[in-house]
Amino acid sequence: MSDVTALFLKTRCKLANSFRIARDQSTFKWVFVLLFASSLVIGLWALFYHGFVFLDSLGGPGFMIIHRLFSLFFMAMGGMLVISGIVTSYATVFRSDEIPFLITGPFHISSILLYKFFESSALSSWAFFFIVVPFVGAYAQYQEMTMFFPVVTLLFSIPYLLLCSGIGTMITLVAVRAMPRGQILKAMLCLLAVGAGLFAWWLLHEANAYMDDEATFMLSKLVPGFRLSSNAVLPSWWLAEGVDALTKGFWLRGSMLFAVMLSNCLVLCLLIAWLGGKIFYRAWLGVSGASGLSSRKALSLPWLDRSLDVIARNTRALILKDVRTFLRDPMQWSQVLIFFGLLALYFANLRSFRYHMLPDKWRNTIALLNAFSVSAVMCSLGSRFIYPQLSLEGQSFWVIGLSPTNMKKVLLTKFGISAISLGTVSMILMAISTRMLGLEPIARWITMLLAIAMSIAISALSVGLGALFIDLQQRNPSVIVSGFGGTLNLVLCLAFMLATIVPIGLLLHLQIMDQISERQMLYGLGIGLCWVTILTTFATLVPLTLGINKLKRQEM
Amino acid sequence: MIRIQNLSKQFGSFVALNNLDLHVKRGEVFCFLGPNGAGKTTTIKLITGLLQPTSGSIHIAGIDKAKDPMAAKRILGYVPDMPFLYDRLTPPEFFQFTGDLYDLPRSMVSYELEKQFTLFGLNEHRKTLIKDLSHGMRQRLIYASTLLHQPDVLLIDEPLVGLDPYTIRLIKDLLKDYARTGKTVFLTTHILALAQDVGDRIGIINHGKMIALGSLDELIADSSQASDLEELFLDLTAKEENCPT
Repeated sequence: MSDVTALFLKTRCKLANSFRIARDQSTFKWVFVLLFASSLVIGLWALFYHGFVFLDSLGGPGFMIIHRLFSLFFMAMGGMLVISGIVTSYATVFRSDEIPFLITGPFHISSILLYKFFESSALSSWAFFFIVVPFVGAYAQYQEMTMFFPVVTLLFSIPYLLLCSGIGTMITLVAVRAMPRGQILKAMLCLLAVGAGLFAWWLLHEANAYMDDEATFMLSKLVPGFRLSSNAVLPSWWLAEGVDALTKGFWLRGSMLFAVMLSNCLVLCLLIAWLGGKIFYRAWLGVSGASGLSSRKALSLPWLDRSLDVIARNTRALILKDVRTFLRDPMQWSQVLIFFGLLALYFANLRSFRYHMLPDKWRNTIALLNAFSVSAVMCSLGSRFIYPQLSLEGQSFWVIGLSPTNMKKVLLTKFGISAISLGTVSMILMAISTRMLGLEPIARWITMLLAIAMSIAISALSVGLGALFIDLQQRNPSVIVSGFGGTLNLVLCLAFMLATIVPIGLLLHLQIMDQISERQMLYGLGIGLCWVTILTTFATLVPLTLGINKLKRQEM
Repeated sequence: MIRIQNLSKQFGSFVALNNLDLHVKRGEVFCFLGPNGAGKTTTIKLITGLLQPTSGSIHIAGIDKAKDPMAAKRILGYVPDMPFLYDRLTPPEFFQFTGDLYDLPRSMVSYELEKQFTLFGLNEHRKTLIKDLSHGMRQRLIYASTLLHQPDVLLIDEPLVGLDPYTIRLIKDLLKDYARTGKTVFLTTHILALAQDVGDRIGIINHGKMIALGSLDELIADSSQASDLEELFLDLTAKEENCPT
């Protein structure tokens, strides 16, 4: 039996045991999970379908968007998968407790990496099926296609997901090996600067590019990546074109594109195995500390220590611990910086798109869409970083559990830190966005209030549910995030986002369509803000209360 | 100092601790012995409050743990067998963190930091992150920070795991001296020699039940066959398992 087979057999046993444990869970939990998952898929399906119908109603430009939407969608998914692959592979390949056991066992280093790559791919991409399935389903329904279309798309999706996740794993592997321990901060800043520069160049290039076709030109302004998605070098294009060819009966072209996808995926697997044999062991030694101690002095933040002198000692202790831990973990702060940094760059360049010269109603709509994107990033950061915080206290949590500090204070401190951090960043972003768009003061205040409500509710949901579904044994954040509680948290955060932003968006839409008067608009805004306040209060108090009660009973 | 009455703990259908009664006096070093899975760590975690009892009560210096857990926590100190700490803090930061959690004045924390770091040989690791410390160094740091608030009751789960001979001697002396100042030390161990060296009284537990309790001399006197603690331990636990000694 080969070593990779042995590892996969072990995973099969693990899965069988997990399934056995899950089977013993309460029926309520099963029903809840199934109901939730199916509601999510059906809801997204309906949303996508109506989106297609809306685009169709726009005529020419709408038709052009639909034509390119398939490749655009998979390109965006691919981009997110690469980022997800980078994050997940770091936790799975380098921080897993299993690695020392595997390295000392009779396994080839390349086999270990290949096995961990598949595990990381599964962890980073399973949730994408919840988006891909309704999108493909809605697309097939809209285009009145047969069942052959989703089947072919699924067939293409598997090597595509592996390809994207594999690129993420390779980036992590090379980056970890190339960056000496203790110089991650410097290297990440350089990487970020290069990334920001490229992004700024792309924005300017997109803004000033000249095209013959006016409609394509306009669309490329409105839909980022519109032109890029039809680049034949991209795997997302192979997928879109391959599926299109096969469903239209062009078997040779479709099969050729599938073969291109599959062969690239297999070559990537070979590359990972080869690279694993060459650099994985040294890279792991660097991360695990076996190759020497960190040479860089830890960031101590004495000014923060002094400025927190006015608050209770135990609260200060909890704040300082969390802030120091966050800032000393490059994997955490670098992701936050990249997500919000990209948004800040985009907002700062809004004038390159001439958006500030649009009529009031359209500027308000863009501001709302920006609020939507900031909120979506907050949802993902809440799920990725805030939700697993309590579980990641792990077996060190006994230190706090033993001390005379009550759990209510622990939870509220975490909530406070999260809400203030998210609130500050989102308000800065919204301020940049509204300023660049030159909005009226009332519109600025509304977006600011939305940002505050989102920060409070997302923090409360993530901290509260993080406590409710606490798992002190699990050290891999990817596993914590992709569990039942993590998924529920993400869905609830997104649901809150939709429930707060959609009513305001609807008002704006009615105003654009001239279906309501100025006076009705103001009344509507008043009611909308009351709704947001009630919803935020509910979304804050319920999860925090549940979380506090759970933590009080928590055994360690 | 520690009064345990009818204490039981179940994990699902598994009974980890079954109606335990125990009284540990002030100024005493009490050693809790037992085979793997006997219920030692469960008992110590129940006393600390890291686990909740299924039934029974625990009083620490007259304080009912269930009614006033915060007051009980103030006078307890716990050293676990595995040194899980906050990896991205330095030892002085962790020490200060512990002091702040116990609401101790900064001047006292600074004074104790110098004293304990010197005692436990941690001075040269002040700028190292905890994740880069060895198992033994982490264990020393836990001892140092546990002693920071001078707990009336010191609970230690396997006190010598991962420590070098120098630190073992240091810990043995420290435990005896600590009890002499009127504090109580409750420890679990597999190392019978340690129990013999430092224990004023010894309790032997198996399958969640106390099967022997008393000073070393009392236990040996009560036994018809054993002449030392090792023989006594093997005899008692083998009887329970119905195995030949």
